[in-house]
Amino acid sequence: MNLSYQRSDTSEFRKRFRWIALFMTLGFFAIVGRLFQLQILEGEENHAIAVENIVKHVTLATTRGRIVDRDGVILADSRESYNLYAVPGRLDMALTWPKIADYLGLQQKERVRLEEKLTKIRDDKDDPRREQQILLKEDIGWSANVILQEQAADLPGVSVVSVQVRYYPSGVAGAHVLGYMGEVSAEVLPKLRAAGYIEGDRLGVAGTERAWESYLRGTRGREKVLVDARGRRRQDPGGIIEDADRRIDPIPGRDLRLTIDAELQIAIHQAFKSELAGGVAVVEVKTGRIIGLYSKPSFDPAALSGSFGRSALTDAFRRLYSDPLKPAVDKTVSGSYPPGSTFKPFTALAALEKGLVNPRQAIQCRGFLKVGRKNYGCTHVHGATALHRAIAQSCNVYFWQLVNESQVGMDVIAQMGQAFGFGQKTGLGINAEASGRMPTRAWMTYRNKGRYLTGFAMNAAIGQGATTVSVLQLALAYGVVANGGTLYQPQLVRAVETSNATVVQEFSPRVRRRLDLDPENVKLVQKALVAGVNEEGGTAFRARIEGVDVAGKTGTAQVGHKLVRGIEAERVWYFNRDHAWFSGYAPSAAPEVAIVVLVEHGGAGGKHAAPIAFEIIRAYNEINGKAGAKPRDAPRSSARPGEPAPAGPRGRQGSP
Amino acid sequence: MIRQSEGLTSRFDWPLFIAGVLIALMGVVNLYSATSVYQGVVAERYISQLYWLLGAGVVGAALCAFDYRHIERGAYIAYAVGIFMLLIVFVLARDVRGSARWIEFGSFRFQPSEFTKVMLIVALAKYLHDDPKNEGRSLRDLAMPAAITAVPAILILRQPDLGTAMVHVFIFLTIAAVTKVSGKSILLFTGTAIIAAYVAYHFVLLDYQRARIEVFLNPEADLLGRGWHAHHARVAIGNGELLGNGYLKGMQNQFLFLPDQATDFPFPVFAEEWGFVGALVLIGLYLFLCLWSIRVASQARDRFGAILCVGVTAMIFWHAVINIGMTCGLLPVVGVTLPLFSYGGSSVSTAMLGLAMVMSVSMRRNMVRPERF
Repeated sequence: MNLSYQRSDTSEFRKRFRWIALFMTLGFFAIVGRLFQLQILEGEENHAIAVENIVKHVTLATTRGRIVDRDGVILADSRESYNLYAVPGRLDMALTWPKIADYLGLQQKERVRLEEKLTKIRDDKDDPRREQQILLKEDIGWSANVILQEQAADLPGVSVVSVQVRYYPSGVAGAHVLGYMGEVSAEVLPKLRAAGYIEGDRLGVAGTERAWESYLRGTRGREKVLVDARGRRRQDPGGIIEDADRRIDPIPGRDLRLTIDAELQIAIHQAFKSELAGGVAVVEVKTGRIIGLYSKPSFDPAALSGSFGRSALTDAFRRLYSDPLKPAVDKTVSGSYPPGSTFKPFTALAALEKGLVNPRQAIQCRGFLKVGRKNYGCTHVHGATALHRAIAQSCNVYFWQLVNESQVGMDVIAQMGQAFGFGQKTGLGINAEASGRMPTRAWMTYRNKGRYLTGFAMNAAIGQGATTVSVLQLALAYGVVANGGTLYQPQLVRAVETSNATVVQEFSPRVRRRLDLDPENVKLVQKALVAGVNEEGGTAFRARIEGVDVAGKTGTAQVGHKLVRGIEAERVWYFNRDHAWFSGYAPSAAPEVAIVVLVEHGGAGGKHAAPIAFEIIRAYNEINGKAGAKPRDAPRSSARPGEPAPAGPRGRQGSP
Repeated sequence: MIRQSEGLTSRFDWPLFIAGVLIALMGVVNLYSATSVYQGVVAERYISQLYWLLGAGVVGAALCAFDYRHIERGAYIAYAVGIFMLLIVFVLARDVRGSARWIEFGSFRFQPSEFTKVMLIVALAKYLHDDPKNEGRSLRDLAMPAAITAVPAILILRQPDLGTAMVHVFIFLTIAAVTKVSGKSILLFTGTAIIAAYVAYHFVLLDYQRARIEVFLNPEADLLGRGWHAHHARVAIGNGELLGNGYLKGMQNQFLFLPDQATDFPFPVFAEEWGFVGALVLIGLYLFLCLWSIRVASQARDRFGAILCVGVTAMIFWHAVINIGMTCGLLPVVGVTLPLFSYGGSSVSTAMLGLAMVMSVSMRRNMVRPERF
């Protein structure tokens, strides 16, 4: 070893080597420092971000509860509808989008519209929707769904979510009772988020669907899944998600068993065929359970729920609100009408209970009554009329004389009317209920600017003037007459059940109040109601059906003559026609159900409302295997298999 | 001569060799994990990486058996060949993600800008070997080396490949730093560099290059766009924590959140799976490799060998620091590989070639003054 190995002088560099070495050491130390920061100090944080990157929360749809009738016949159920969602930020507009548009078979116009929507979100850096799933198209159909599911691996950023939409097998026959569903609106969504609603959810917006939403809805489940950066689902290699935390199963909504009889409901729909508008209520007199509740014009709840797509939905809504007959209004609870002569039994009971009248004492009806300078006309000349015939044949003069000569005042009538539930909401719980009006003397005086006229009480006695009632109120009141004095709370939902028909909660009948009526007086009125249908001269006598046992009272309520806004002159005659009523119960000897039929602007009650009522009672008897009905050959519940094709009044409207 | 060749095998630089082999093997093992999420050709990259390593190893072995002074003679020719290849790129190049960096012969392709680093080192070593100075160097003395550097650097910048061009410049600066530059010159140079950087940023850099720097300066602003790479690389590293997720279990890697796991971003894959401890080992190996090579430089028996070692060390150092630095968010994202560790024939061969030259110098180092640097 000697110096000769040193070929050239490297002394120029000698001092610099250690600086270079120091510099490099510091360089690597800087990196180690940074790694210490990332991996040790911020390690947990970064681990959380990494987990968050790959763990996605998938919500699991729940099933909305069914609504079934008293026998389990399905009134409302859900079916699958496939909705297409996309994450705009992860969608390849050049490759994936044209494929999707093809699979969906989009029209050029819709395609351009959706494309613009997507591009706009993609281009806006601040738009949080860029990385969220947005709804592209609803109800893409089963075949498009199958194709998209098959191609899912090649379509990053796209997903098909199946949601459930409602269908209503009895269709229009029970539309107002059932209600319909609607997408949760942007205005109420913030309030509902806490209850687990998200954008695109549907909820009941009318009828039972709305009132019992919290029972029907069910609770979503959720699942944690692993998704890679390209949006594909991946298996958990182990330990990323804790097993206990992986999945929460959805809880299906509760089924509702209504008191409604679907078969009767369809029979009512059929019976009402020849009339344009009105309402029917059929209530069990010993329980207050509603077995039939029908309002016309009706609507298709499935179309309004959006089950047939968007255009069918807008169409249905346009019809709902442009029709002058107001299909949106539930005529059985939301409308209030002057009861007309159907109120007379209550006036009679008021007079009898106060002992103001001798039921056997007759008055002379000459077809009119002159009070002061005014002539009040009766329907026709009844001659010598006592209470029985006055009700059965609907003599106005008799009831006017009660006011004029027997001191049956405004407040006597009002007191009795209120006892029967008029002027108060029934507490049915679905749809907006009208309370109607049972005017007192003080109220009339106040409304007439301090002047009280005897005419007010005369009007009240025959159910005209300021008195208004709803169809359901009247039916419940007739139920009181039929059962001898018990006013029931109307009941629509009989039980809450699980999807396999296990009863969770059953609702028993609730008495609203017991009226302390003299059974003798009730019997008098009952007899008069039986006569109204079954005796020659009774107002409903001509409409009666042989073998159908009904007691009741017709009514022809005058309508204030006025030009209804927004209706052409040619149609005014219709809106000025009287409302036709029939109120009663059946069977007459041992009453089971009270029935009220209102035909809006139908004309005379005996001619237009009574036949419908009798037809409905005939159907009721038939359904329940009563005398006068044809023998029943088919099992009742359509939920059972092997049933012969439904025919006649049982024919189903609407389909899933 | 006989004594010298006798000493050759006994002077084989084992520490240098072992450090290099360890890094390369860790790279292959890591590459297997990085590509394990794919199927087919991509998943078999680790095999071709092994072939490259073996091939480059054989060439490297030949090279260190060969006295590096022969290289000195052909230095400028090698340099000219490098420049020529860069020019060819513009004619033959295939476009990979908007930049043309490759030359292809059938299925074989390589990246000349990797090799020109070694050729630049050789040329600079040759120039400084022939230009000994004992008083302080002025900027004018460094004008020629700067020009030698500028030619390939500018050509590469035009490809465009900012990262590799910068490495060329950094190699030159590191070599210049070992020479005796006067204080005045350093000040003057620093001033010029700042102005040049400003001018370059605004007039020379392309939009995407500027965007990368902007993303680096404000990484959270564009998490889904250009900040994606930087962000997820950082998260992956952090996710490793102290001991790592375990081999083949890196979450960010397995779920495809890391871009270019094989080439530019193998470090996050490694750091995620092996944690802080694993990263320390890898960085320790690089640090050892650099310090050992500087030691070899300090013992070189001529100026050429010393500059050669310093140049190769600079190449390894800057590559490693820039690559790891960019993955952990210390530096902007540029396309610079992790030497020996990253997948890529050109990258691996270049590193092997460089280390073979260091080995060659080491085997012939001056044993008279085993100086501690």
